[in-house]
Amino acid sequence: MTWIGELVSIASFVSSYLNLTGTLATAVDALVYAIAISILIVAFDYVFGWVERKTIAKIQGRHGPTFAGKYGILQNLADFVKLLSKEHVLPKRADRLMFLSTIPIMLALTIFLILLLPFSPTLLESNVGLGLLVIFVLLSFMPLIIFANGFGSGNKFATISAQRSVVMLLSYEVPLIFVIATVGLLAGGYNLVNLINAQSQWWFVILMPIGFFVFFVAMLAELERPPFDIREADNELIAGWLTDVSAPYYTLALFLDYSRMFLGSLLIAILFFGGWSGPILPPFVWLLLKVFIISFFIMIVRASMVRMRIDRLLRFGWLWLLPLSLINLILTYLVFIR
Amino acid sequence: MVTRINIGPVHPSTHGVLRLVVDIDGDTVVKLEPHIGFLHRGVEKLVETRMYMQSPPYMEKLDYVAPMSYDEAYVATVEKAMGVEVKERAMWIRTMLLELQRIASHLLWLGTMANDVGQFFTVFMWTFADRDVVLRLLEEASGARMFYVNMRIGGLIRDLPPGFEERAEEVMDHVEKRVKKYEDFLEASPLFMERMKGVGVMDREKAIELGVTGPVLRGSGVDYDVRKNNTYYVYEKLNFKPQLRSDGDCFARYKVRMMEIRESIRLVRDALAGMPDGDALGMPIKLILPSAKNRMVSVSRELPRGECLMYMIADPQRPYRLSIRAPTFINLAAMSEISKGCRTADIFAISGSLDLVMGDVDR
Repeated sequence: MTWIGELVSIASFVSSYLNLTGTLATAVDALVYAIAISILIVAFDYVFGWVERKTIAKIQGRHGPTFAGKYGILQNLADFVKLLSKEHVLPKRADRLMFLSTIPIMLALTIFLILLLPFSPTLLESNVGLGLLVIFVLLSFMPLIIFANGFGSGNKFATISAQRSVVMLLSYEVPLIFVIATVGLLAGGYNLVNLINAQSQWWFVILMPIGFFVFFVAMLAELERPPFDIREADNELIAGWLTDVSAPYYTLALFLDYSRMFLGSLLIAILFFGGWSGPILPPFVWLLLKVFIISFFIMIVRASMVRMRIDRLLRFGWLWLLPLSLINLILTYLVFIR
Repeated sequence: MVTRINIGPVHPSTHGVLRLVVDIDGDTVVKLEPHIGFLHRGVEKLVETRMYMQSPPYMEKLDYVAPMSYDEAYVATVEKAMGVEVKERAMWIRTMLLELQRIASHLLWLGTMANDVGQFFTVFMWTFADRDVVLRLLEEASGARMFYVNMRIGGLIRDLPPGFEERAEEVMDHVEKRVKKYEDFLEASPLFMERMKGVGVMDREKAIELGVTGPVLRGSGVDYDVRKNNTYYVYEKLNFKPQLRSDGDCFARYKVRMMEIRESIRLVRDALAGMPDGDALGMPIKLILPSAKNRMVSVSRELPRGECLMYMIADPQRPYRLSIRAPTFINLAAMSEISKGCRTADIFAISGSLDLVMGDVDR
């Protein structure tokens, strides 16, 4: 089954075909890799947009999209075209730069973070020592960018959403960092490839279930998925920070939503479910399979949970998640390290 | 710093066209002011220009979630003005239909309530499907799915179709199972419980002072139900018990409504069991010539949302004046009182637990 590994490492294939060497070859490799992964992200967004609609419809006893294409598979394409054909309205009070630049920046940041992750032993762009830390440092910028967007739109609902964004950051970021530190402790470093290799015997989800729970909850909050969709709370704040965002930018925001879900599921799969490791099937397929199952679980959570209140989340973060993450750190140290 | 936000009239969870002007300090509500009137259609005035039995369709559009209850309240007022006795079998059928309507209305409320606290449409879709089962039953009995207009002076437009009892039994078994499922599903979730418990507390004295009625009043522990205290039709014979909770918070109001669905199921079963034979048809519309003997009448009814009082000054041809005490109008007035000091997210839990229907508020 090595041919799939060969097939997906097209990056080096292009540069060798063009007889390039040195820095130019590296640059072309990176570009080709980025394009390939971006196509993968778009494909995931598209397929998962459809799967989520169908799954939630099934849970709720509906049919979901049925008209566009077989089983409504083309519905998202139709929505995409419709959204792009709509008028773009810039609110009078909005800060033009802050309001318009943030969503593209967030999407670019998300894609960049996905590029940093390893997809298989051969399909990876960066293999730096502090990869995991880099990812989480960049990821914690997200709520701040959302804050900028909400504040810049000049809408009161968006402003409240922006404030909630910062409060949320306070509640889940500290436990998240403790869990990442524990993962680094267990793997003996923050290199993502070493992290996956360290899980060849036992997945980290078995070694530290408490840490997994804290990480999963914090990740749901990070991804704005229910029950922590407090920023976007559509019954309270209409659409939160997206209230005044009109069609083309809203399309980007939808892409951003699913790309972030992809990123979050990838991180969970790599950190706790052994990344690409698995028998028979090629590593790349294993990783995507795990991502698919995790995303599916996140969807089911969405259909079955009631939204948490912002003050409750703060309470939950400091009274439950933080002690749990500390207990996890101490237990891991006592059991596996000492 | 106090910020003023304007929620509605176009907003995902204002149940129609309610506008709330809210002053918030951080995340705490300082002042909440409902602005109403976006759905005012002047029904009370319209009724004055129509003959008596031309009005029920207007009445039904007041509370479009429980149309039959309003229809019945109006027809009962006209009957009282005319001094007409309702036929025995018609009384039993009316009681049963009203309770079916109450179940349908409460099921819709449950879905929207779950949505208001941030459930992503799951319970909403489930309860809508179950409400449809009940509506199908009502359709069988009256001929229409939503706006029935099946009350006539002294009886009904038609008797129950053959085989209705068995189907009603089936539906009641189904709804009973589903209500259990909803309760298990929602109350097993600590997130739901903490959104509902201790939120929007209205104690007994305050509830009486504010004049709220229906499940909102009974959620505050006041034993008042028009079906019991000012009984009508056959509720006495069916041994009806009002459902009470004493906490006065959103959870108590939720629980009262859930228990009321159960009680209504029991009432429907009892009514089906004890239904007498005979004639249930009312007078044809053409024959109506109301005597002006009882000029001023008032009829009080327990609607799914609370007490409705219809006050009518009757003329021989048409009502001289009809005044309606709408239950949700009074219940909405309590909202600014009980949501003081709550969190921004709780506004919607409270408005959901009051079960507002803007058609009823604005009339």
